[in-house]
Amino acid sequence: MPALLLHAEQWTAAPRGVTFGLFGAGAGAGWVFDAVCDRVETGSAVSLRAPLGGADVVEIIGRIGALRPEEYLEIVHDQPWRGRIKLRFRPDRGGTTVRLVAELDESGLEWLLRRRGFPAGRRESPNPRLGLLTSKSGPGNLFAAATDNLAALALEEVNAEGGIHGRPVELVVGDDATDPAVGVAEARRLVRAGCRTLLVATTSATFVAVSRALTGTDVLVVQTLMNEGGESGRLRLQYGERPEDQLATAAARMMRAAGGRRWFLAGNDYCWPRSTHAAARQVLPRFGARLVGERFAALGTQDFSPVIEAILASGAEIVLSTFVGADAAEFQRQGHRAGLGKRCLTLAPAMDESTLQRVGPDAARGLYAVSGYFEQLPTAGNDALLTRYRSEFGRWAPPLSTLTESVFEAVHMWWSVARRVGAEEPKLIADEMRRGRFELPRGTVTLSGGDSAVQPLHLFEAKGTAFALT
Amino acid sequence: MGTELAFDALADPVRRQILGVLAERAECSVGELVENIDSVGRTGVSSHLRVLRAAGLVTERKAGRFRYYSIDPTGPARDVIDMLHSLFQGALADAGRAADARGKTTDRDIRSA
Repeated sequence: MPALLLHAEQWTAAPRGVTFGLFGAGAGAGWVFDAVCDRVETGSAVSLRAPLGGADVVEIIGRIGALRPEEYLEIVHDQPWRGRIKLRFRPDRGGTTVRLVAELDESGLEWLLRRRGFPAGRRESPNPRLGLLTSKSGPGNLFAAATDNLAALALEEVNAEGGIHGRPVELVVGDDATDPAVGVAEARRLVRAGCRTLLVATTSATFVAVSRALTGTDVLVVQTLMNEGGESGRLRLQYGERPEDQLATAAARMMRAAGGRRWFLAGNDYCWPRSTHAAARQVLPRFGARLVGERFAALGTQDFSPVIEAILASGAEIVLSTFVGADAAEFQRQGHRAGLGKRCLTLAPAMDESTLQRVGPDAARGLYAVSGYFEQLPTAGNDALLTRYRSEFGRWAPPLSTLTESVFEAVHMWWSVARRVGAEEPKLIADEMRRGRFELPRGTVTLSGGDSAVQPLHLFEAKGTAFALT
Repeated sequence: MGTELAFDALADPVRRQILGVLAERAECSVGELVENIDSVGRTGVSSHLRVLRAAGLVTERKAGRFRYYSIDPTGPARDVIDMLHSLFQGALADAGRAADARGKTTDRDIRSA
């Protein structure tokens, strides 16, 4: 698809090797060259902090998609929009000319217009619209890296099957910036655009705020990913993995692997980590666990040393980490540097494959997660999904995780009902989904009337930057 | 000017391409645009320009028989494109300065070695 191309060029007296060598070196060489990556090599996870003006700094995350030393470097990125930044180096007038080409797609332009404060809306459409609220910026950008892709893939599939009553479904995407107040404003915008169902794949903090803000409106709000429950009503659905089930699946095996029973609870300070810790106090002692400490840190924390010191001092053998997104990665990396990995194993129920890329293979040793899906899950449905995903979005597209794959499944679940009752009937859609039993890439998910669901859960362990069954 | 229209106008790949060509230069005639856009001919380019103008993204200047198009300096596209240009050019300028400084250090190291 043609995209907007932006060009920039710069000459320097420095030789090509010196200029190229600045990339990723953290040498104060501007926001592009000061890209953060563990290694400058093809496939490495990379993040750039782009100063959009004023105090607004946005993180661009992706991977190094191509590299020819001293000649060419290409960053393929997924957040906050999908695009590429290409850098070409050539010897010129005794120095080096660097040429940069940045690609911007439609969604990127739309995102930027909105971020720059231009009022946003869309004209009415005769087609049904489905809303997706995700995190394209803020610390949630990491775990949500594949969310848009998976929603787009599912939409393509349902539209190829005739959409709803012969009309293609349009996806309208909102960015909560990992902030509940922004999430509410974005949710309202999606509703104004005509969405009668919102799929929310953000932190629970945003989901709860959106759920309450939309009380009394005839809009179905679905939390697709793992959650603590608690938002009741005919038009609310939260069927993702629940902390008590995840902990019950993992507890005994974690203690066997760690050779100890002492747990420390550490996480971000909002509703899901707090609820997960409350569940841990209920569930873990039933398996003979002892809880030896608890700490919280605000979402967006940079320095985790107080938490890490408290864990080291507690003598814990297992850390229940309920940090999410960029915070989870940073906590794991700082813990590794402080020697936490030698002392304890970590169970991080919300650790996802995108975040694991940033954790890196060293700091990921001894890290476990528990959920209904991981990218290497050996089911026929998942094999087929991965093949389609890679052929559509390429080799360097961000990995799938339970958090993002849940969005693919939610689109299909929604459509399987909406195609019969119509997209304009959110109450009927909710009722039917609640009664549903769905065959999905993760396996069979049964909603059985209540708001929680029954699905197979798995404990898995980080091996390098992927997960494997234990 | 409705920004709603701007979003709809940008939904079309040819219109984004026209905007991309205009972003590269101060002003273009229809002929220059047609040379740079492969997928549609003169009529197509003209009708896309009408949509872009209606959306407040592009302005038209008449000079005799000729019409010239540029990105509307008061529109949202200009703001975003200018911001992105200075963002990327600024990044390369910083890299150039850092390379100059490092190049000089390397020269000194070589001379003193």
